[in-house]
Amino acid sequence: MIPHLIGITPFAHADFWLGVGIVAGIYAIFTLGLQLNVGFTGIVNLGQAGFMAIGAYAMAILILTYGWSPWLALPVATLIAMLAGVIVAMPSVRLRGDYLAIATIAAAEIVQSTAQNAISLTGGNNGLLGFDAGWQTIQVWLLGALSTIGLGDMDQIPLLAVTWITFAVLLTTLLTLQHTPWGRVLRAIREDEDAAEALGKNAYAYKVQSLALAAGIGAIAGYLLAINITLIYPGTYSADFTFIGFAILVLGGLGSYSGVALGSVLLWFVLEGARFLDLPLSADKVAALRLLIVGLVLILVMALRPQGILGKREEMVLRG
Amino acid sequence: MAARHEQGRKDPIFAVRDLVKGFGGLMAVDGATFQVSRGSITALIGPNGAGKTTLFNLATGFIKPDRGAIEFEGQSVFRRPPHAVARRGIGRTFQITKALTAMTVMDNMMLAAPDQPAEQLLGLLTHPFSWRRQEQSIRDRSMELLERFRLASLAYAYAGTLSGGQRKLLEFARLLMAKPRMVLLDEPLAGVNPVLGQQILAHVHELRSEQGITFLFIEHDMEVVMNNADRVIVMAFGRVIASGLPLEVRRDQRVIDAYLGAHAEDVA
Amino acid sequence: MRPPRHPPFFLMLTTASSLEATPSETAGLGLSTGARGLALLGGAAVVVLILIAVKGYQPAAQATANGLVAGTYFALGAVGLALVFGVLRLVNFAHGDFLTFGAYTALLANAFFRLPIIVATAIAIAATALLGAILELAIWRPMRARHAGGLQLLLIAIGLAYVIRNGIQIVAGTEPRSLQVDVTSAVSFMGGIRLGTTELAVVLIGLVVLLLVAVLLSVSRLGKEMRALADNVSLAEVAGVDTGRVIIATWLVAGGLAGLAGVLVAAAVGVLTPQFGFQLLLSLFAATVLGGIGNAYGALAGGLLLGLTQEWSTLFIDPRWKLAVGFAILILTLLIRPNGLLGRPALK
Repeated sequence: MIPHLIGITPFAHADFWLGVGIVAGIYAIFTLGLQLNVGFTGIVNLGQAGFMAIGAYAMAILILTYGWSPWLALPVATLIAMLAGVIVAMPSVRLRGDYLAIATIAAAEIVQSTAQNAISLTGGNNGLLGFDAGWQTIQVWLLGALSTIGLGDMDQIPLLAVTWITFAVLLTTLLTLQHTPWGRVLRAIREDEDAAEALGKNAYAYKVQSLALAAGIGAIAGYLLAINITLIYPGTYSADFTFIGFAILVLGGLGSYSGVALGSVLLWFVLEGARFLDLPLSADKVAALRLLIVGLVLILVMALRPQGILGKREEMVLRG
Repeated sequence: MAARHEQGRKDPIFAVRDLVKGFGGLMAVDGATFQVSRGSITALIGPNGAGKTTLFNLATGFIKPDRGAIEFEGQSVFRRPPHAVARRGIGRTFQITKALTAMTVMDNMMLAAPDQPAEQLLGLLTHPFSWRRQEQSIRDRSMELLERFRLASLAYAYAGTLSGGQRKLLEFARLLMAKPRMVLLDEPLAGVNPVLGQQILAHVHELRSEQGITFLFIEHDMEVVMNNADRVIVMAFGRVIASGLPLEVRRDQRVIDAYLGAHAEDVA
Repeated sequence: MRPPRHPPFFLMLTTASSLEATPSETAGLGLSTGARGLALLGGAAVVVLILIAVKGYQPAAQATANGLVAGTYFALGAVGLALVFGVLRLVNFAHGDFLTFGAYTALLANAFFRLPIIVATAIAIAATALLGAILELAIWRPMRARHAGGLQLLLIAIGLAYVIRNGIQIVAGTEPRSLQVDVTSAVSFMGGIRLGTTELAVVLIGLVVLLLVAVLLSVSRLGKEMRALADNVSLAEVAGVDTGRVIIATWLVAGGLAGLAGVLVAAAVGVLTPQFGFQLLLSLFAATVLGGIGNAYGALAGGLLLGLTQEWSTLFIDPRWKLAVGFAILILTLLIRPNGLLGRPALK
């Protein structure tokens, strides 16, 4: 089974790589939330895709069913996702690490199950369309601006730019937060909750806040994902999404927000670059191969270099 | 708000009455009753398994008692969560030192400073600039304490790089940032060399004289207890079997029996 | 080794009959595990009687029979999970995929190499047991030697799950496949209960194996050593338990049970896809959490209870909500009694 390259050089496919850049950006935003939870609070949030779904569906439902303007729907949907984060967190964060992880998985499953079955609300497996009218308008305007510099037909650039600018804004916000006393308490809780409690810090409250913030960040990733594929349906917001996010998280480095960008770009360029290899496998087997590779990445990083590329070894407190 | 007792009043700063905690059928604390006087240095002693550390954990909210009463400065702290007890003014160390190794020494210290609005998200929004000034004053205060404990040169090292003895000092210095009125030390001299041990004890006495801080410490070394404690409380089988002046307690038959009983099992 | 300060009499009985019961963990009413197990059995019997009274004999009995079918493979899977957690404190996220591995190995032997299903099952059990042991030697042991933290191990387990599952998918593809078992013939018994012959075989084999496992855990030297390790590793080592050997044995047993469970699921349900084990994982977690994570007897009871409850629910609500019932049980358990019916504390 020796793969051979197709005759065309990959770099001619600029449009393709722009698309990869968008996906990498969406995953990077998603994983910022994971970093806050896992890398900086010490809680294993395996349900992040569920919050992404809540954000995306809330946005679409507000726009489509209630006729809201996107400018209102987006912040409100984010608040709804954060509220969901609080609701999930309140009973879960008291639990021991493994149980917390399982609880978050269960929460995400419930979300996905609801998305599939509450057909009148969510469109079931057919999903929701047409929520991105607002974005289309913006995109047309942006492409018009781009055409003045001759890039008018690179129609992926607007979303690519918006995605990575959003990432940069969120990254800056999180980095700033990290260097505040709030961030300091979080880091203490990450390592040893009891020590933090003995110093008067309410560990429970901080963990709930961490999960709520991550849910909001997940929601934002959800909007961009929805715009990218112009459709919202349950299958997108699956455990596989969270899993790839974790691989990016550890690859870039636990405890490094900028590492998230590096990890995402690296992983996606490798995964998508493999499209240029002509493997004698059917589509579903290729999909399986990609997930297998991601699994190997996760195992190898955790086993051989747990701090990832940019994580700091001294800050590694890998609580279970 | 707790009514502030003046120093020198006879009311105990800390009192425990008929405290009970069982695990399954095992009674770790089985009706403990004692008081600690304000400004005293009190030792809590007893054979292994007597329930001393469990008592500390009950007193500081890390374990929830089954029944009984716990009062600090006249106010109940029964079943209050650990962070609430800490905020009332009780600091503690742990049997296994909890220096936050993935943070610098300075971060450890600044963490412990009380009344930081910037530790709340809401506080960050309402005090977007003034918190940095507070950080500076907290940093200064931390440095003072670190100098007192001779850790100043390590201020920006990760706590994980400190030796065991240095971590113990850090844990002590850190809890003082919160300006506690009572400090519980769980085996403060365990695993440290005698010189460092004397330093720790010296700090205890100084802090008591200067600031009137009450100390309650768990200790196994009788000489240390004799030389440093104003009063001694003896626990065995989850109960307080004796309390009083060190010399009195040492001669108390019940105490001797409890310790001998323990040693007899060792031999058997 | 000194006995504890206060050796209450009943605690010694408890330690003998549960997988692990240190003083802090048999909290609550102080009932021993054995007593609680009997109480559960009694409770289940009462429920069956009530259902018969409310819904009529045939529907209730049929649902109970169906529940036992599912319950046996839930229990077989959950026991393996609990054993690994009890002895190693590791939540094996790859356990569902062990079931898939077992099922597909049997498929290979049975459908491809045309071996009889019994032989194929034996091969599946052996292969999955071996898989567990190999992973222990290649991954878990070295990681423990390097003092890997809980998060590292968790993520490695998840990675393994994806590697195994997708490896199977690459080799076998996604189209549903079936074992060569009898899917048509059925038996009627006990006044109107109908089960496929295969389903009946599944229940009988499963229950027998579960009984064997329960007995071996209490009586055999290996079982006692497993429980000693689950209780307290350093103490066990001091008492002379060869931890390395016991850990390998734990993986062999857990893997073997998982392999068998996978084959039984494939036989009972009729079709296989590479995702099925992973899809079962949440139910297996529900069963282990219900029984008390780390407690093998609890997992056994939890698995059976889960299967029964899911089927009983179909007497009242639409069958497509069966899975939701499983979630509900998991969530309720985590909310109300995280240490499950028989297990160690889940709150910090």
